[in-house]
Amino acid sequence: DYDLIIIGGGSGGLACSKEAAILGKKVMVLDYVVPTPLGTSWGLGGTCVNVGCIPKKLMHQAALLGQALQDSRKYGWQYEEQVKHNWEIMVEAIQNYIGSLNWGYRVSLREKSVTYLNSYGEFVEPHKIKVCAVKGQVTYHTAETFVLATGERPRYLGIPGDREYCITSDDLFSLPYCPGKTLVVGASYVALECAGFLAGLGLDVTVMVRSILLRGFDQEMAERVGAHMETHGVKFIRNLCIFIQVEKLEEGMPGRLKVTAKSTEGPEVFEGEYNTVLIAIGRDACTRNIGLEKIGVKINEKNGKVPVNDDEQTNVPYVYAIGDILDGKLELTPVAIQAGKLLARRLYGGSSTKCDYINVPTTVFTPLEYGSCGLAEERAVEEYGKQNLEVYHTLFWPLEWTIPGRDNNTCYAKIICSKHDNNRVIGFHVLGPNAGEVTQGFAAAIKCGLTKELLDETIGIHPTCAE
Amino acid sequence: GRALATPAGCGSTFNVQDGSDFQDRVVNNPKPVVVDFHAQWCGPCKILGPRLEKMVAKQEGKVLMAKVDIDDHTDLAIEYEVSAVPTVLAMKNGDVVDKFVGIKDEDQLEAFLKKLIGA
Repeated sequence: DYDLIIIGGGSGGLACSKEAAILGKKVMVLDYVVPTPLGTSWGLGGTCVNVGCIPKKLMHQAALLGQALQDSRKYGWQYEEQVKHNWEIMVEAIQNYIGSLNWGYRVSLREKSVTYLNSYGEFVEPHKIKVCAVKGQVTYHTAETFVLATGERPRYLGIPGDREYCITSDDLFSLPYCPGKTLVVGASYVALECAGFLAGLGLDVTVMVRSILLRGFDQEMAERVGAHMETHGVKFIRNLCIFIQVEKLEEGMPGRLKVTAKSTEGPEVFEGEYNTVLIAIGRDACTRNIGLEKIGVKINEKNGKVPVNDDEQTNVPYVYAIGDILDGKLELTPVAIQAGKLLARRLYGGSSTKCDYINVPTTVFTPLEYGSCGLAEERAVEEYGKQNLEVYHTLFWPLEWTIPGRDNNTCYAKIICSKHDNNRVIGFHVLGPNAGEVTQGFAAAIKCGLTKELLDETIGIHPTCAE
Repeated sequence: GRALATPAGCGSTFNVQDGSDFQDRVVNNPKPVVVDFHAQWCGPCKILGPRLEKMVAKQEGKVLMAKVDIDDHTDLAIEYEVSAVPTVLAMKNGDVVDKFVGIKDEDQLEAFLKKLIGA
């Protein structure tokens, strides 16, 4: 019936569907959100729009505004009232914005004549899927080509009490009550970003870390991010690994929970009481229950992710995959969008441009933001050898921080250069305010082959952190 | 305000329940009906809604008002090509004879309603 059926209406799925429709193809998009154990669900748009980047950045902004209010008095602003934060007002405003985005996506799919079904789809035989609508009716659809863009969902601990009493990022951004004293389990960027803005809003936050912070990122930068959070009130409990259980002590919004865990090292048992426990230990690909085995699509059994070639094609020629579910690729919205668009153009527009996964810039929106593009120092040393690298680094004090007397030895930037390649910049890392805005421009420069010399020759804009 | 007894029942404003309710009470209504397409997440809708209701009530039963939540009744919203909210349609004998998108003040709303009734 269709030229293309896309399973998943997130960043990747929607971008691919719209591009294919523009190229004149008959496209269907299926998007369905299995509710969380606590019943949370959301509309069209995927993780980024509903329970990821968008609400995260808005809550991060709310926390930054709290800090700005504190700084403002030093800049001469005078006001009597005690400033406090109302969680419900913030969540309502954010959810209203997300609602408008969900609607906007529906309108844009309709405008491009893409068929959209808010239903669960699974493969039943080659080229054919079964779709179960909310009211129970089952329909079947066929297509020449399929794209898997089902994304991921948060992983749970697998201990008594985790699904019943704990929340994840899927629940946090629409939580109808303030989470209160919170324990964040995990040291991923999701864990640290959430812990960061919750603390910034005035809550008592503890982060429980099994081993290292921000796995996959430059570790020197990761430790600096963590150190800043610690000096600003976030408690860290490190090297605690084995969770035993979570019990509910008291009902309520929020209630009171008791967490019991023990260390991998010694016999010590840890017990703590919190209003909310937020689990952020990783995300699992949604590939297990969509019938992939019926049509022979191979997945990586360890993590559920889909291996693809550099055309984003799976082992089954008419099935492609994009976004977070790809094995070994970056889990970022702009990457999924780019991959989706380029895939549609290669399939239907006669293009041969493939998605470039090298030197993709990213930013971790912890209270002190960390932007990077290129290699982490450890990876660069591994790939090039320490003697072939030159690392330039500096601490800096943002001008805006001087008046309010904020830290003068925390913001930090470093670049890693390859000596044998004209001192080409192969790694860029910056820890400071507006790191995302700063990093974006440098990413374009790196794509153009930025070298240390070119950087030195570029005159700075004064006074900025970027200079 | 006063509740006027009209052939349709109680008062001049009602929430549309589903597609067939829309057919019965809006499309097949002998009286003209303004349809207010709105959404929970839409700030301006929360201002326009009550304002429009007030002006409709002032017309003393000559025009009725139907409210449609676009997330609950997406098919209807799509059928009537609603992209932004609030969108207000003026319907007479099942046809859309007028429309506007966004907020209007009381005078503008009164003119809109009078035109619908008069035409």
